[in-house]
Amino acid sequence: MHDTVLLESAGLPTAAIITAAFVNEAHTQRVALGAADLEPVVITHPLSTLTDEEINDRALEAARQVVEVLTS
Amino acid sequence: MIANTPVEPVAQTDLVEWYFEQGWTDGLPVVPPTPEKIEAVVAALGGAPDHCEARVPPRWGNLTREVLAVNLVLAGCRPEYAGVVRAALVAMCDPHFNINGIQATTHVAAPLVVVNGPIRETLGMNSGWGVFGPGNRANATIGRAIRLVLMNVGGGIPGDLDKSTLGHPGKYSFCIAEDEEASPWAPYHVEQGYRAEDSTVFCIATEAPHSVTNHVANDPEGILDSIASAMSTIAHNNAVSSGSCAVVLGPEHARTIAARQWTRQDVRRYLWSNTTVTFADISFGGRYGKIYNRNLPKWYRREPDARIPVVPSPEDIHLFVAGGAAGRFSAFLPGWGHMTAPVLRAIDGRAPVAATSCTDGTCEL
Amino acid sequence: MATDPQTQHDPTHRVLSTGEHVFDPRGTVTAELVPRAPRLVTLSGVRLAVLDNSKWNASRLLRQTVSHLSEAHGIGEVTTFTKESFSRVAPAALIQEIVSRADAVVTAIGD
Repeated sequence: MHDTVLLESAGLPTAAIITAAFVNEAHTQRVALGAADLEPVVITHPLSTLTDEEINDRALEAARQVVEVLTS
Repeated sequence: MIANTPVEPVAQTDLVEWYFEQGWTDGLPVVPPTPEKIEAVVAALGGAPDHCEARVPPRWGNLTREVLAVNLVLAGCRPEYAGVVRAALVAMCDPHFNINGIQATTHVAAPLVVVNGPIRETLGMNSGWGVFGPGNRANATIGRAIRLVLMNVGGGIPGDLDKSTLGHPGKYSFCIAEDEEASPWAPYHVEQGYRAEDSTVFCIATEAPHSVTNHVANDPEGILDSIASAMSTIAHNNAVSSGSCAVVLGPEHARTIAARQWTRQDVRRYLWSNTTVTFADISFGGRYGKIYNRNLPKWYRREPDARIPVVPSPEDIHLFVAGGAAGRFSAFLPGWGHMTAPVLRAIDGRAPVAATSCTDGTCEL
Repeated sequence: MATDPQTQHDPTHRVLSTGEHVFDPRGTVTAELVPRAPRLVTLSGVRLAVLDNSKWNASRLLRQTVSHLSEAHGIGEVTTFTKESFSRVAPAALIQEIVSRADAVVTAIGD
């Protein structure tokens, strides 16, 4: 989330993808960095052990939310 | 009511239970602070209770001297331990250490603190029998105070911001002193450019100590081959994430090695050059495809039989002498990886003097 | 029992109703508020930076996500950046480069 805050404060809307297991951590970091209103893109956990097909499902989950995060 | 009925005593709060209820402990009972105990620790830190020593990630809590004092008293520290605890936390909040990543990682890594210099004796620290525990108040409570700060101020609560899947017992307390007197070489901090009379803390994120037994070898190579064996696995984080690690030589092993005039540098270089895994080992023989391998360091040669050193350089093996006078054991402590760099800091924050001639650890002290 | 006047302005130190002094070991958190960047009106033609933190499967996820976005929204030029060390904050030079070459960013993966 730290990178996201740096990019946003430099003027770039940023969609940061995290897995569901890290929602609380991301929230705490955002609050501590003064950026509570930055919403991340949240996909099902885990990611590291997935096959190509499973990754594609996550990518679809992500793409929908990326649009929202960048435009609203 | 009869006039001489005994008065009900005012209900007292059980403070030990109260602190448990707030969720401010490490799972063990704490020492409830009083204004006098806090004042004594703040005085040991130099006064100015609102002075902020560091901000501790990932919560970025403000570690003022007062807040630091609270955690020191909770841990059971004496006021004179305060300088060591502060120096360690300031070192850990150095961006190079990346305490943010260490707090949040799914790995087990916990910051180990190694103390050098006269402060060890002043505080009655243990560098000998059972150096990793238990039994010594200074070792135990200094390590504990650091952990309480990481939890309370830094927000590193397991299952919440501390994502360590398994944790390890060093996350209760992980602090030792080097046995400079038993060591046949110069102390760790002197080799790094400090004077012997400087007191320092060295912080490195590691897994739990892995015991290395060798009751057979009477030469350096034999002992070090056993340590290299413990280091040459694919299971610890150095194998997949590179970075630094620590080796603690028991005094018997250290004496045998030094008897053949081996220096600290010789020990590190021998270990480094004989601690390898093959690329086939760490890539599981290509069983899971090649994409995974992109996460391995670029300089790992991507051929099945290529031998890859487990740490990038001999200087990434941080070497100490500690433990009881008898027993042919040493310990290997794998690190977290390239994502962190260990930090050495003087208790009083001073920089090391210009390099002495002792940088290979050969000088006598 | 009312709060001891000495502890009134100190968030760390207070007095319980039963009279004992207690101390909060957490310390305060002070954060300067950082405003969000202005949002995009549309993704069409937008220059998109992809920031890969090199954790396992991040790059595959990003590639496929961007491919879906391209299909559905006609985004413009896509530039990929990779962070060397996934656990560290991106260096200032990298941030600057991204800012100079993109209108929006997608980054992965915090896991």
